[in-house]
Amino acid sequence: MDLTMSADQRDLRAGLRDYLQGTWTPDRLRAAAETPALDRGDWSGLAGLGVFGLTVPEAAGGMGLGLVDAAIVFEELGRALVPGPLVATFLAAGPVPGADDGGAVVTSLDLRDPVLVAEHLDSATHVVAVGDDGLHLWPAEALVAEPAPAPLDPLTPVSRVKTPPVAGERIGSAADAAGWRLRGAVLTSALQVGVAQGALDLAVRYAGERTQFGRVIGSFQAVKHLLADSLVRVDLARAAVWAAALTVDDPEAGDPGEAASAAKVLADDAASQGGRCCVQVHGGMGFTWEVLAHLYLKRAWLQETCFGQADEHARHLAEAL
Amino acid sequence: MDLRLSDRELAFRDRLRAWLADVLPTLPPPPDRDDWPARRRYDTAWQRLLFEAGYAGVDWPAEHGGLGASPTEQLIFLEETARARAPYVGANFVGLLHAGPTLIVEGTDEQRARHLPRILRGEEVWCQGFSEPDAGSDLASLRTGAVRDGDHYVVNGRKVWTSHAEVADYCELLVRTDPGAPRHQGITWLILPMDTPGVQVRPLRTVVGSSEFSELVLDDVRVPVANRVGAENDGWRVAMVTFSFERGTAFIGDVIESRNILAELAAVARATPGRDGGTLWDDAALRRDAGRLAAEVTGLWALIQKNVSEASAGMIPVQGASVFKLRFTENRQRIADLAAHVLGRAALAMGDPAGGRVVEDRVNTLSFTIAAGTSQIQKNILAERALGLPKEPRWT
Repeated sequence: MDLTMSADQRDLRAGLRDYLQGTWTPDRLRAAAETPALDRGDWSGLAGLGVFGLTVPEAAGGMGLGLVDAAIVFEELGRALVPGPLVATFLAAGPVPGADDGGAVVTSLDLRDPVLVAEHLDSATHVVAVGDDGLHLWPAEALVAEPAPAPLDPLTPVSRVKTPPVAGERIGSAADAAGWRLRGAVLTSALQVGVAQGALDLAVRYAGERTQFGRVIGSFQAVKHLLADSLVRVDLARAAVWAAALTVDDPEAGDPGEAASAAKVLADDAASQGGRCCVQVHGGMGFTWEVLAHLYLKRAWLQETCFGQADEHARHLAEAL
Repeated sequence: MDLRLSDRELAFRDRLRAWLADVLPTLPPPPDRDDWPARRRYDTAWQRLLFEAGYAGVDWPAEHGGLGASPTEQLIFLEETARARAPYVGANFVGLLHAGPTLIVEGTDEQRARHLPRILRGEEVWCQGFSEPDAGSDLASLRTGAVRDGDHYVVNGRKVWTSHAEVADYCELLVRTDPGAPRHQGITWLILPMDTPGVQVRPLRTVVGSSEFSELVLDDVRVPVANRVGAENDGWRVAMVTFSFERGTAFIGDVIESRNILAELAAVARATPGRDGGTLWDDAALRRDAGRLAAEVTGLWALIQKNVSEASAGMIPVQGASVFKLRFTENRQRIADLAAHVLGRAALAMGDPAGGRVVEDRVNTLSFTIAAGTSQIQKNILAERALGLPKEPRWT
């Protein structure tokens, strides 16, 4: 039993973190919030780092790593607020040609959702529809959808799907669809942990600089305890996400469905509450477009709706009691 | 990273399981919670059984009579004994988890030889004399004084929250030996024999209704200088060593119990008719709330595994211990609240077979967010040590 990062995993994280710090600077995020179309150069950059092919076997051109390595990578992507249909493209690597090398941008729809909304449809090349009967693939232009003029997360354009297409190319069985949902829940949880950590880092930095009443506000217990609460939520969620990723790869270690549901419940909570905390600690500045706090919270709210909402996962966990 | 146990750890677990399956059915029923002499007999008899089977002092180094188990084996021990509902460490808590480990690190050879084997065999019960009426979270403000008189210290003062004081043989005692020094530099750690003249034990009745701990009144109590652990006026550092043993593992078994209470809650709700037909469990909001608490319990277990992994790698999981304590204690209180809501008016009597255990747990767990560092102190620790925020203005 070992739930600490290996030297390789720390290197993987450090390399990606360096790249993302250089690429997704605060100014770049602000600019992208105005013109959110994906830059295919960025997408190829992520693919070049192996982000989408991490768990694809080495014989098939991937890195042959485990889902927990992907969780470490996706936490960094979430922390940097990298936009794009990252989880769907990752999951499509293999069944959809080009997904692993950056040649394809794959977005997805879960046909169980009562309201069908596609992310980044204008930038996408493919859409994977996840149904209880299996996985279906469409070319992105086959989807009739209406773009929303003001998406909640400024970096994530969304389009309301009017009529789902009837048939596409079937690329996976019902079991593959279940696996897609399971791995998607774990990776979305990892993104949420990253969002929570990024929001906490930003809030801690501000609390250590902003002075009121002659003291930095981070020296007041009222502010400290808000931040400590965020830290507790993010640490708990991270442990749950790692355990879930390991359990999905090794079902003898536990029940993958329960582990993934627990991770999603805790990670959604860490991200949305962490985003709120970040806005609150920034005070009036936290309510401005200029300060990035709102981007963390809005991304958290977006990702809460992906791969099962927390309440749904909680009821799933209750069934096992 | 992986979640699997090694072959050696699996063998350790299987041996322990087999032993527990043999020995637990032979135990007498647990004593009444207010019968302290009987509780001491029960807890120390269990410790003796552990000793004879080679499981005493699981986390103690082998050269001091312990098992010298790895952090993962310690986790297995706590998990398996909790799952099997083996007796709690009880009256042996301070000896095994505080005083013994402190003596191992800081004691003299004589002190170790005198106390360690007896603690392991369940022959010696310890209590803790740290907190005072005016020194709780601010422990360094303690005022119980000790004045040197030849080869003795003469101690006067009061201590509170002393569990097992009525039946303890020794007390780990913090006293002020230099009132003129800066607060952290005038404290000394002493071994107090509880039968010394001048030691008076006054049981305090807790909100549970029982006397879980006492107040100690110390009136001209003479403690041999040979009973000092560490140097005179170096007791604060020794106490920090003591505390480092407290945080991290103390609540592991309780997480198993949290899961058990959740499962019982679900079973009761499934069996209880609802007002609108069906059962209480048909209420989606109840299932959502129970599921959220279950997610937290799962996350807490992962956090334990992470903390234990860090300990195995030679790291000290300080941040992980505070995070765990904060979230575990709050989660358990919310579980007890939810269980009480399910029981409704069946939750109005303690000891009632229907739900008395849960009712008592709901009251008893009020102490969880207070004892061993309140939640507010834990948040200060995290904010200052993990997040690097400026210290609260304090006396130095």
